[in-house]
Amino acid sequence: MTDAPLEHKVRGVDHAAFPTFDPAATVRFYRDVLGFPVVHSICAAGWGPENHPDFIHFFFDIGNDDRIAFFYYFGLERQHDEARGDVYAGFGPEVPEFFVRSRHLAIHVDGEDDLLEYRRRLDASTWPVEMQIQHETIESIYTHDPNGYMVEFTRAMRPVTPQEDLDANLTIDALLDVVGEPEPTFGKLLARKAELIVERAADWELAQERTRQQEQEPAQGVTS
Amino acid sequence: MTALYVLDVPENTTVAKVAAEDPEVTVGRVGPYFEITADGPIVVDRRATGCRHAVWYSCIAGVAGGRIAQHDKDALRVEPA
Repeated sequence: MTDAPLEHKVRGVDHAAFPTFDPAATVRFYRDVLGFPVVHSICAAGWGPENHPDFIHFFFDIGNDDRIAFFYYFGLERQHDEARGDVYAGFGPEVPEFFVRSRHLAIHVDGEDDLLEYRRRLDASTWPVEMQIQHETIESIYTHDPNGYMVEFTRAMRPVTPQEDLDANLTIDALLDVVGEPEPTFGKLLARKAELIVERAADWELAQERTRQQEQEPAQGVTS
Repeated sequence: MTALYVLDVPENTTVAKVAAEDPEVTVGRVGPYFEITADGPIVVDRRATGCRHAVWYSCIAGVAGGRIAQHDKDALRVEPA
């Protein structure tokens, strides 16, 4: 970990794309219920080696200039007939529910008022909120869009603190160590993470303190 | 000796506070973590902490020299290995 970190140059989600077999309901949900503007669409004739159908690729603004996009393929039949999952992926009865519900898109809002505003919009629609949950530091509402994709709206209940970034990095380093060995378990992860805390946490706090002092020194120079 | 590490963030402070009520338990610090240590078991009553479930079930950062014997809606119990 002595290498300088790679410069972080990316700027959020340009678009995340999903297929739909029901563009009418998809537009109702995103544009008419949620109020997400349509910001781009492509009408494309089928081309390429795979007998590609003609399609419409359409985009909704999800804030921050980020976008969610859909493909509607003319004449394409549904690709599975499983009862569970979404139009992209279906799951049989042997797949546990927590796994089926694991993949989702979470859209950020600034605060409680905005979260409750989207709750009102959804609850007045065909796609009411299914859950509202306070997690560790965020509060979220959930529903499924007309395609079966799970959509979350979430707000931070407080700002993330620097020590949480340290903790996240120790978790990931411990996880990589544990999954590199046979039979990883939660208990092994917590044992490895305890070792990393003892090795690194005190030094991290000293470094944070030094940084704070350096930031304060120029300001003190100006005022004295 | 058993050591339980809990990150010092507002949601977790009552976990360390309730653990410290046991005279056999010592609560110190390593960087931004509470280091909760004891020669015997460390037991924390969930209701006394007031933690909601999501916080309660994710409050443990690390365990040294012991193992989690109980972590449910009632209590967290870490026993010496």
